Amino acid sequence: MQGFPGGAPDPQQLQATMLAIEQACSLIQVHMNPSEAEKVISSLHSSLMPYQACRFILETSHVPNARFQAAGAIGDAAVREWGILSDDNKRSLIAYCLNYVMEHASSPEGYVQAKVSAVAARLLKRGWVDFPDQEKSAIFFEVEHSIRGIHGPNRQFAAINFVEALVSEFSPATASAMGLPKEFHEQCEWTLEVKFMKDFYCWAQAAVFNAADSILSGNASIDEEKACSAAFRLMFQILSWSFKYNVEHANSETKIDSGLRSDAINLKKFERSLVKPGSMWSDILISSGHTTWVLNFYTTARQKYSYDPLWFDSPIAASCRQLIVQLCSLAGSVFPNDSGDAHINHLMHILSAVVLWIEPPDVIASSIRNGASESEFLDGCHALLSIASFTTSLLFDNLLKSIRHYGTINLLSALTSEAVKSFVDNQNEEETWGSDALDISLEIWNVILGDFDADKSPMSVDGAIAASNLFKIIVESHLKAAADSAFEDTDDAEYFHVSVSKRDEQLALYAQIARSAADTTIPFLAQLFSERFARLSQTNGENDPTQTLEELYWLLLITSHVLTDSGEGETLLIPEALQAGFPNVVEVAQHPVVTLSWSIINFSRQCLDPGIRARYFSPRLMEAVIWFLARWVATYLVPLDVSRGQVSRAEIDNVDKHGFQHSRKVLNSFAWENNQGELVLDFVVLISMVALTTYQGENELQTLICQKLLATVVRRKHTCTFIVQLDSWRDLTRAFASGRSLFSLSGRLQRSLAETLACAASCIKDPEASVQYLKDLMGPVAGCLVENASRSDLKSVAQKADVVFMVCCLLERLRGAARATQPRTQKVLFEMGHTVMNSLLTLLEVYKNQSAVIYMILKFVVDFVDGQAVFLDSNETSVLVNFCLRLLQIYSSHNIGKVMLSLSSSLRNELQAEKYKDLRALLRLLTNICSKDLVGFLSDSSIEGSQDIAEVIYVGLDIVTPLISLDLLKYPKLSRDYFALVSHLLEVYPEKVANLNNDAFARIIGSLEFGLCNQDSDVVERCLTAVNALASYHFKERLGGRGGLSSQLMESEGSNGTLQESISSHFLRLMLQLLLFEDFRMELAGSAADALLPLLLCEHGLYQGLVQELLEKQQNPTVKSRLAMAFHNLTNSNNLSSLLDRPNRQRFRKNLRAFLGDISGFMQIK
Amino acid sequence: MSDSEDHHFESKADAGASKTFPQQAGTIRKNGYIVIKNRPCKVVEVSTSKTGKHGHAKCHFVGIDIFNGKKLEDIVPSSHNCDAPHVNRTDYQLIDISEDGFVSLLTESGGTKDDLKLPSEEPLLTQIKEGFAEGKDLIVTVMSAMGEEQICALKDIGPKN
Repeated sequence: MQGFPGGAPDPQQLQATMLAIEQACSLIQVHMNPSEAEKVISSLHSSLMPYQACRFILETSHVPNARFQAAGAIGDAAVREWGILSDDNKRSLIAYCLNYVMEHASSPEGYVQAKVSAVAARLLKRGWVDFPDQEKSAIFFEVEHSIRGIHGPNRQFAAINFVEALVSEFSPATASAMGLPKEFHEQCEWTLEVKFMKDFYCWAQAAVFNAADSILSGNASIDEEKACSAAFRLMFQILSWSFKYNVEHANSETKIDSGLRSDAINLKKFERSLVKPGSMWSDILISSGHTTWVLNFYTTARQKYSYDPLWFDSPIAASCRQLIVQLCSLAGSVFPNDSGDAHINHLMHILSAVVLWIEPPDVIASSIRNGASESEFLDGCHALLSIASFTTSLLFDNLLKSIRHYGTINLLSALTSEAVKSFVDNQNEEETWGSDALDISLEIWNVILGDFDADKSPMSVDGAIAASNLFKIIVESHLKAAADSAFEDTDDAEYFHVSVSKRDEQLALYAQIARSAADTTIPFLAQLFSERFARLSQTNGENDPTQTLEELYWLLLITSHVLTDSGEGETLLIPEALQAGFPNVVEVAQHPVVTLSWSIINFSRQCLDPGIRARYFSPRLMEAVIWFLARWVATYLVPLDVSRGQVSRAEIDNVDKHGFQHSRKVLNSFAWENNQGELVLDFVVLISMVALTTYQGENELQTLICQKLLATVVRRKHTCTFIVQLDSWRDLTRAFASGRSLFSLSGRLQRSLAETLACAASCIKDPEASVQYLKDLMGPVAGCLVENASRSDLKSVAQKADVVFMVCCLLERLRGAARATQPRTQKVLFEMGHTVMNSLLTLLEVYKNQSAVIYMILKFVVDFVDGQAVFLDSNETSVLVNFCLRLLQIYSSHNIGKVMLSLSSSLRNELQAEKYKDLRALLRLLTNICSKDLVGFLSDSSIEGSQDIAEVIYVGLDIVTPLISLDLLKYPKLSRDYFALVSHLLEVYPEKVANLNNDAFARIIGSLEFGLCNQDSDVVERCLTAVNALASYHFKERLGGRGGLSSQLMESEGSNGTLQESISSHFLRLMLQLLLFEDFRMELAGSAADALLPLLLCEHGLYQGLVQELLEKQQNPTVKSRLAMAFHNLTNSNNLSSLLDRPNRQRFRKNLRAFLGDISGFMQIK
Repeated sequence: MSDSEDHHFESKADAGASKTFPQQAGTIRKNGYIVIKNRPCKVVEVSTSKTGKHGHAKCHFVGIDIFNGKKLEDIVPSSHNCDAPHVNRTDYQLIDISEDGFVSLLTESGGTKDDLKLPSEEPLLTQIKEGFAEGKDLIVTVMSAMGEEQICALKDIGPKN
């Protein structure tokens, strides 16, 4: 071949290279000495001009892996040596690869062919900008001929394969690295999309078109089918391209009226990608009837091959279906700018073909259960989802009505039923078609029901019936499954939590279906409950109630989801669907939501009776009851003013819809009527007490009580003000403060209980009563700690396990209370903290070897400082700061220089982990103390205490920095805490840093360098802030004629070896490197500008030198001049001055953003 | 504050006699101590499960013997009590290492304690020996539980004056 690179080959050497590569390949396959073998292969990839050897291997080797490696080596070497190859060389390499795939098109080793195609595509892209157009046309001329089938099906397949490789090489996500700037890749992407993509699609179309007849008549050869399915795949791939260079119509009103939706839909589990190729594609995709042709082709073929169950999974069927599903997602200006008719027609066409894949669902489902393929069914579901996301639910329902006497929602309901049944039957197996189909169909419901909510237009009558029937089937299937699984053991807790969140997601989607037909589904649920309540009361000890309990458990879960939203952290409203769903109900006692609620709550009340509790309130049932109560109370005990306000406003709006509004009013106010609300709250406290004291060791249940139920009631002011007045609440707080019973809770729960109880204090209106409440609650706890810490025999009893346990409990409680600090309760809680300070120091000394206690003391102080810092006056501050200083000193005297050891490596790891936790707590503590100082600066900078704070922090830093290694900083939580502290510190006390000794200073600077290259943008931002603080300080000091940081030197990699330089020049180098050559994130540009500006001002000379150096390195004159321009603009535009004031910083921020935008195109390399 | 009597640490007359203390299984956390098969262990893993969905919770503990490092497991209903060992750690100043591998330690009251052997494993062994040879002031921590004792940590408090 003419122009093939590399000198005249030496046959013996070629033979030797081939043998070496073949041997290496076969060694890798049997996994013998793989690293040696890899070395041999990579030496081929990196050797100079390996083309002749590769060619020899490709043409003569019988080992396919060797040929594969040879092809890869051609690609790597050519991209690397592109600069030294002549134009002839380049052309001939591409031609060689293309010829190779064409000539060996019938080779059985497809992956070798694919690799050679990919190499051809890669090289073609590499030369894309340099090659003249006619050369490219010549290549594509050949390719087109082959794709059209002129040289037979094998070559057709090979050519399609090549175009596939080309498209994926040009797509940014799948492009291979070439060491070229981003602009190059963008230019390639643009020309391919605008000039070639449509042609490729037409060629594939032609290929399919030519093969269609023989396939449909059953005469096609295997090769023909293979080529045809490859063509479908190519069309799919082209439609998956993210089109960028098209023009869209403006959104017209008429289109929205027609029933198409233009809003962005967020799908929960699936990605929705719109295919928007633009108006240029209209002729081949829409007006030519292409979609219809594809649909007809598939429909005819599936009829023809219906005798063969394997056909549905054949490549041709699968790729054709994939294309059809993709065609569903067509959108935008590819459709004519009419009132949406063309688009609706398009969807209707697809639906009429797809409906055959999924209807009738029961028949198809049973045949899948008997072993038929499920892929067509699932593809049908995907198509339906795609259609649903384009249409309003009304249009969605109507689409099917033109060919059936029922709507699409009916079909969807039947389909979902089958999916539920299959899912429930195979719940324990992984990844069944049932669960896939269920996920998709629930997503469709989510899309169409979400639309109803937005519209406020009620669902059609058929639609509601369909939803109601579906919900019945869902409930019945799950109840059956619940009864069947009642005797199984529960899973391990960790797995449990994962599956719970998955289950909740599913239940929430079921609930949405139930709400869309609330008038029938809620009474249905009420009836199911009353049946099971009756069954339980009849069991009186003879029958095992377990199955009924499990059914009730499931019913409570689904009912919670139907009646309430989960709304983490939001104010919960009564679901709109329920408020609007009962326009005809005027009597409170008749309202299904009301009766259902009371029947469940009345049933739950029975758990207060010890006999009944023992008989059937199992821990698990209690969990469901508590969970239900928490959600119900949060939703239905509506704040009185809100419920009144809402209704009266609504009455003014809609006087005529009287009944409708009345049912709303009923729902918003029923819970408080006749003192019911107070009774429910009283019950909440009673049931909490029961669950905390009589369900010993049931951590799951008790967690729900402390963290969900009680937290919910206390967090809402309107329920909390009621609850603090209750006798039962007083009993609970008394039991906590001075009884023993609640010490049986685990430590974590005692903490959250203390937090909740202390929080309630801020809802007691009378300030004195509130103070007294807290004193009664926490006084005994603090008192006990003090009293015991001052015992004379402390040393002898302290290490006993029960004493350790008690101390931990008390510390947990104190910590919980500290976390509840609020403006109103701050004073009392500070007093509480103050009384225990000395005791804590004693305990820190006594328990120096009990890491668990030490950690708890640290954590208490962290939370205490966090809660108190903002409120303290100077006296209190100095008390707190002195305490912290003592604490740190004692801690460091125990821990610096200590070597731990243990026989077992896992115990040693545990010790490490404990130290790591201590370290984090210390970092938090220092940061919290720092934050006090910031506040202090804002209000009154002459506070006496501020000097102390600086001291504490430097003692702390002295403890912490030697323990922090770069390895430890790889832990994200620790590194965030650490950098938060350092940036804080440098902002507040740069002058202190200047005086640090060299070691400590180098440690901080070293960690900053590490942080600047971190992945976490939070960390990088913090480091930039720190650099800014450091450099600004330096600049200001020098301006004032002082030395600043000049005494601190750093070793740095300069252009001529290591050199000593000042901190500011060190960071200047680093910043420029970061901005120019790394993939710098634009969101950090602001902080980067703030850090860079003082560096520039400090080291102007060095900066000029570095810029000059950079410019001289550039070979390409255009790049050079653009870079020079960008640098010029960076420092000269916008009237930048040499000050560090705010306006100047703003200007520099603007300049740097423009600079980064300018250079990212040609400086960033892929 | 008369109620606070309830929270008093219990120190009975025979305080030294009991080696363990009963603690509810549900409150024992990872990193706590527990007795499994009559050995004091540090808990490295706790998981809970239920006997039948509507039964009571039980805790599954994985513990590591704090003296010999062996792994032990136990399952206990979470409302039942487990034994928690009293684990004590005391610091002594090292005054001598005898040829047969025993150490001589200075107690707080000024007496000596001579019944402990050097630990057998590295790096502590070398560090103690070398440190002692260099004449440094060394503090060793001795861990004791359920009648057993072992040196478990070392601290250098500076050269001897």
